[in-house]
Amino acid sequence: MAKTRELRRRIKSVQSTRQITKTMEMVATSKLKRAQDRVVGARPYATALAEVIGSLYAPEFAERFPLLRQPAPDAARRVALLLITSNRGLCGGFNANLIREARRRLQELEGQAATVELHLVGRKGISFFKFSHRTIASQRIDIGDKPTAAHAAELVAPLMARFATGELDAVEIVFAKFNSAMSTPPTTLRILPVDPPADRWSGGQAVNYILKPSAEAILEQLLPLYVRNQVFRALVETAAAEHGARRTAMKNATDSAGDILDILRRTYNRARQAQITQELAEIVGGAEALRG
Amino acid sequence: MRVTVLSPERSLYDGDADAVVAPAYDGQVGILPRHAPFLTVLGEGTLTVQHGAGATQFRVAGGFLQVVTDVIRVVADAAEPLPGA
Repeated sequence: MAKTRELRRRIKSVQSTRQITKTMEMVATSKLKRAQDRVVGARPYATALAEVIGSLYAPEFAERFPLLRQPAPDAARRVALLLITSNRGLCGGFNANLIREARRRLQELEGQAATVELHLVGRKGISFFKFSHRTIASQRIDIGDKPTAAHAAELVAPLMARFATGELDAVEIVFAKFNSAMSTPPTTLRILPVDPPADRWSGGQAVNYILKPSAEAILEQLLPLYVRNQVFRALVETAAAEHGARRTAMKNATDSAGDILDILRRTYNRARQAQITQELAEIVGGAEALRG
Repeated sequence: MRVTVLSPERSLYDGDADAVVAPAYDGQVGILPRHAPFLTVLGEGTLTVQHGAGATQFRVAGGFLQVVTDVIRVVADAAEPLPGA
C-alpha cells in the first residue's frame, strides 16, 4: 500500500519535470532558429569586410598601423583573454567546455611567461573564475542572447585602445564557434594583433580601384571595424551555440524522463496487481475459515 | 547594376538599382551604371538607392562603399532603413 503511494508520487514528479524540460526544449528550438538567422545575417558583412581588407592590405603596412603591430618576441607579454559564456545554465557541458578551453589557453600563455588578464562575458564564466579566486579585469552579464554590434564595440574598444598604446601585446577571445547546431567547438581566436585576411576575392589579379582617400587611410578606418566584427561574430555564434546546446540537453532530459516513467509505471502496475491479488486471497481465505 | 547594403547584423538591401547616392567621408558620392572600380570610406548620412519603382533610403554611418563592374556594396558600420520614401 505504502509502496504504491510512493510510486504514484514519483510518477507525478517525473511527469512534471518532463513537462518542464519539454517546454525548455521547444523554447530553445525556436530561439536557436532566430539565433541561427542572426549568425547567417552577419556573414555577408564579415565576408565583404575581410575581402576588402585582404585586397588592400600589403605587408609594408604592417609597421604603420598600431593594430597590426606584432609583439616583440623576447619581452614579457601581456595578453587579454576575453571569454564568452552564457548567463544561464541547463545547457549541458556548454559552459564547462568554454571554461575548460579558457583555462587551457590561460595555462599555455602563463607557461610562456605571459601576464594574462581576464575579461569575462556571461554569469557562468564569472562565477567559475570568482570561485577559483582569479582576478577578473572586467566582467559583464548584460549582453544576453541578442548581442548587437554596439555590444561588441563596447567590449573591444578599451582593449583596442590599450593595444594601440602598447599596454597590451595580444588580445584573444574564447567562444563557441557555431559550425552547426550539433557542432559548436570552443575556439580560441587571436583578434589583436590583426591577422589580415588572405586576398581571395580578386582571384590574384588586383582590381584597379579609384581609392578615396588612399589605401592606407581606408585600411586605418576598416581595421578597427574588422576587429569589432570578429568580436561581434563571436558573440552571435556563442549565443546560437548556447541555444543549440540547451536544446540537445533538454531533449536528452525529456527522453530519459520518458524512460524513467516507463519503468515507474511498470513497477507501479505490478505493485497494484500484487495488492489486488493479495486482497482477493485474503477474502477467499477469510470466507473459507468462516465456512469451516 | 546590383546593390547590396550590409550592416554588421544583417543584409538590408539586395537588388537592382539605377543610381546610388552615398555619403562618403568628404561629401556625397553618386554612382551610376558603368562606374569605374571605386572604393571609399563612408561618413555619416543618408544613403539613397534609386530603383525602377522609386527610392529606398537608409541612414548609414562608417564603413565603406565598393564598386566593381556594376556590383555595388555598401558595407556600413551602422545602418538602418529610413521610413517612407
